[in-house]
Amino acid sequence: MKTEPLHHITRSDWLNTSKGDPRGYIQPEKLTELWFHTGTTCNLRCPFCLEDSKPGDNRINPLDFVDAKPFIDEAMKMGVEQFSFTGGEPFVIAEFVKILSYALDRRPCLVLTNATEPLTNRLSEILPLREKPFAVKFRISIDYPDAARHDAGRGPGNFRRALETLGRLYEFGFDVSIARQREKDEDEKAVDRKFHPHLAAVGVPASVNIVSFPDFLTPGSVPRVPEITEQCMTTYHAEESRKAFMCNYTKFVLKKNERVRVYACTLVDDDEDYDLGASLTESMKVRVMLGHHRCYSCFAFGASCSES
Amino acid sequence: MSDHLTVVGVRWHGDGIFEIGFKREGLSFVPGDCVALFGEDGNCSRPYSLASGIDEDELRFVIRRMDDGQVSPYLATCSPGDRVKASPPFGWFRPGPNEDGAPFVFVATGTGISPFLSHFFSRPEIPPAMCLYGVRILQDAVETSMIGSRCSLRLAVSGEECPGTHYGRVTDLLDDMPCAPDHHYFLCGLDEMIDEVSAWLEDHNVPIMHIHRECFFNVTHSR
Repeated sequence: MKTEPLHHITRSDWLNTSKGDPRGYIQPEKLTELWFHTGTTCNLRCPFCLEDSKPGDNRINPLDFVDAKPFIDEAMKMGVEQFSFTGGEPFVIAEFVKILSYALDRRPCLVLTNATEPLTNRLSEILPLREKPFAVKFRISIDYPDAARHDAGRGPGNFRRALETLGRLYEFGFDVSIARQREKDEDEKAVDRKFHPHLAAVGVPASVNIVSFPDFLTPGSVPRVPEITEQCMTTYHAEESRKAFMCNYTKFVLKKNERVRVYACTLVDDDEDYDLGASLTESMKVRVMLGHHRCYSCFAFGASCSES
Repeated sequence: MSDHLTVVGVRWHGDGIFEIGFKREGLSFVPGDCVALFGEDGNCSRPYSLASGIDEDELRFVIRRMDDGQVSPYLATCSPGDRVKASPPFGWFRPGPNEDGAPFVFVATGTGISPFLSHFFSRPEIPPAMCLYGVRILQDAVETSMIGSRCSLRLAVSGEECPGTHYGRVTDLLDDMPCAPDHHYFLCGLDEMIDEVSAWLEDHNVPIMHIHRECFFNVTHSR
């Protein structure tokens, strides 16, 4: 029996494009990965940050253990396969290692980090995580295979610091990967190859996964991008690629105004329309309309924050 | 807490270093925490480490006035009663004794002394084995009498010769520092100093887990 779609918002401009066409959507299937936003406070102040994170920023509040635990528990009951964490810088958060430790007792975890002082200062807390039942993988932001370009955004010396931390984590036996910025019309493999000498310098094999991302712009940006219709989703995407949209299989837990909420994905926390409620179970029932400008990145470029 | 703090006063230590105090207003923090203080427009902020003790009625910050800065020139001209926008305290640097109770050492340059001052004022009964402190001119050095009364203080002044201090960089004094793999080292200040001391410590078999760093400012991320 086919059930009616659940819309948490029924405004016409939510359900339809500006031209009145039915808006493209994703009907979530099964929660396999749960993301947590640890807060927009960060030790760095990068001008391009898609979260506008910076020291002391509180747009998204720091996540405490009591905030995260119920969602980890609920996700486990729903058969989640991985927990992932992003910020801000997660290691700035006082209780982050406690949250990570609890999650690692249950499932593999992915942590996105800038790999500077907040992480290195807590290595003595991080190293025992190697003994956990599940593994943690660190994805380290190294924007370009060029120290000057990386440091222009992240501060002098931070290319070398991030690279050194990458090498140390690998040496300690942790799984690591790199997140870099993707440029228009780039030769992806050629850019990746430029990382290899830097990786070799810190003892990391060239086979390490390098994930590239387009410029998502800062929160609240309203760029003009094509609107995604239902027809777009069937013309340009097949069932398999529709399943690969993050909003199909992930949700994003974050704390705003001292309330912990579930958002549709990691890229839409600046738009309250994508606040799907306070429970994972309920949020998975809601049809996600592809109306955010960052939805177009997923549509056009297959952008995904996930990593298996 | 309110998102504004009320200025109690501004006190100058030298031409470029000043201390700004705020009413505590119930705010809680731990030594090593920072607060982001905003400029006059309320949009641009910079993080500053708290320099006061956790039991004091006042919150204090030691700040270098940056001539082309977006926040520090405004803070330098604040008057008692002014309200300054501020974030809640936050931080990832925790100077002081580790759980294992091993000896620890502080190394600071310039206003990087701030988190260590917070420790001295908060936990005077647990001083570091030594504090190495580097400044450009002697006037920039703050609370040296207090620090010297609590632990072995080695002061380096790079810009002028001063009796009783080392004329040169703080890194010249590393050989004087207690050095053992089980000690913890807390480094705060200029990135160049931090990188140099970190490398020196690792060369002397101090594990990276015992080297705690707060990269206070550098060329483009100055405070």
